[in-house]
Amino acid sequence: MSPVPATAGYTTDELMIVTLARQFDNFTRAFNGAVSFIPVCAYLLARKTHAPDLVWAASSIAIDADPARLGESTLSDSIWEGAAMLSNSPFDFWVFAQGRRYNTFAFRGAQIDRFGNVNNTVIGSYDQPKVRLPGGGGMADLGCMVPDIYLWSTTHNPKIFVEKLDFRSGIGWGDGGNHREALGLPGGPRLCVTNLCVMDFHPQSKAMRLKSLHPEVSVATVRESTGFEVLLPECEVPLTDPPGEEELRILREEVDPTSMRLREFK
Amino acid sequence: MSGLWRGWITPRGRRVLEKKLNIEAAAALVPDGSTIALGGLSMNSSPMALVRELIRQEKRDLTVVAIVNGLAVDWLAAAGCVRRVLTGLVSFEGMGLAPNFRHAVESGMLAVEEYSEYLLIARLRAAATNLPFMPTKAGLGTDVLALHPDTTRLETDPVTGEAYVACTPLPVDIAIVHAHAADGFGNVRVDPKLVWMDNEIVNAAGTTIVTVEKIIPHREFVAEPHRTTYPRFIVDAVVEVPWGAYPTSCFPRYTHDKEFFAAYSTAARAPAQFQQYFSEQVLGPETHAAFLQANGGVGTVMRIRRRTT
Repeated sequence: MSPVPATAGYTTDELMIVTLARQFDNFTRAFNGAVSFIPVCAYLLARKTHAPDLVWAASSIAIDADPARLGESTLSDSIWEGAAMLSNSPFDFWVFAQGRRYNTFAFRGAQIDRFGNVNNTVIGSYDQPKVRLPGGGGMADLGCMVPDIYLWSTTHNPKIFVEKLDFRSGIGWGDGGNHREALGLPGGPRLCVTNLCVMDFHPQSKAMRLKSLHPEVSVATVRESTGFEVLLPECEVPLTDPPGEEELRILREEVDPTSMRLREFK
Repeated sequence: MSGLWRGWITPRGRRVLEKKLNIEAAAALVPDGSTIALGGLSMNSSPMALVRELIRQEKRDLTVVAIVNGLAVDWLAAAGCVRRVLTGLVSFEGMGLAPNFRHAVESGMLAVEEYSEYLLIARLRAAATNLPFMPTKAGLGTDVLALHPDTTRLETDPVTGEAYVACTPLPVDIAIVHAHAADGFGNVRVDPKLVWMDNEIVNAAGTTIVTVEKIIPHREFVAEPHRTTYPRFIVDAVVEVPWGAYPTSCFPRYTHDKEFFAAYSTAARAPAQFQQYFSEQVLGPETHAAFLQANGGVGTVMRIRRRTT
């Protein structure tokens, strides 16, 4: 679903990437996992625009990689070109992650709940699943280790944004409120960027709250597309800030000239 | 390994065990019912040639530990070799779910014990270092811990009151990894360096089999000992198999073969014909070289070869 009208001069994927990129700054130290074209483009775009000191470890391995174009896997050597260091996963990556030297990670999931917890394990029961999904991978780890968590989804619908996860593969704000803090975990989810809107989290309850709407999307559409009651802000919901000309040019020409990011839209 | 002592005298007069085996003999080291751990990560650096040989030898009831995997577990599931998988993730990434893994789990033929990546690493480290458990904060607040309360125990530090997860040892019978070079004594080099988590499974395993792109003279290890990744005394067998990780990658020599993954996924969409494809294209060829030949040969090699960085 691509709500952004053709006349806008940009597309939904570009809006999502630019929105995410603007969250990052020179103190962002990020890495990425599998099928993560949207955040990978966002890290590269931020680094090529307003955050030149941003750190990105491609596939969690190749630090400061600067690939001329993206490959079809974000978890392989196809995006390692130009790196200054190839990390060793157990001794560099996992230590850096637990030591909070890395501070930023982005999740997506087959299911996401109101507190930004994610499921990528099963649809249905664990023992007799209707669909056996890939598995959480590092979600259960990194959700506990990394303070600045971003969520994204290219298909905002009630099957993905659910009232209750079939399985919690990775923790966001847990049961909400101070649950994360009580477990001794740092930070938590900051933002959830979808093909329809941008959501943040209520400062106390930690429930997802509409922050801005993409062009042509109404509050009603977001509500219909979300399986839980999404909170509304006090004010009128603004339009998501559109991408700038220079951001679009760099994204299209330098970050992802072969449009691998569209692999996330099926 | 049993039988006569097979070995070499080094230039300095030491007697050293010969560890070089052919792939059939190396696969024969894996008994039915054993716990094997596979190296590599996702599309990268899995010991595919040896996995293929395990299937050709019709291994049964294996427990497979694979931190993050795709094709190797899918092959083993398709062939009915595996009963239980301990893993963080099995998929073909952007190319979709691992079809036979998915089918085997959904039909109840294959049990998955899902751990996260780091929970598995912590369990392997506990085994490798003879500790009762390895602590971590990974997994807190998720449903993963409840799947195995005995091996990922939720505990509280009596001094600080902090919650942590105690990961108990995960002993592995046989680690199987792919690397770049070895000598005949079992010294192994990952070139330019180890990036994935293979050392964690090697360290936790009672027996280690390493397939390598090339067997090189021992003197090259002596000339550059700083480049050695695993020493001979923790390696039990080395097998020379050029392109041995194919269709997964072996950085920096070659990348994964996306066309193989695409063809395989397409074939799996028609289960009736899949077995024929699988036995002809994957299991049929006698050697790994013949397998590569059956899947494009030189054309494939030209496609997956990387310029070294």
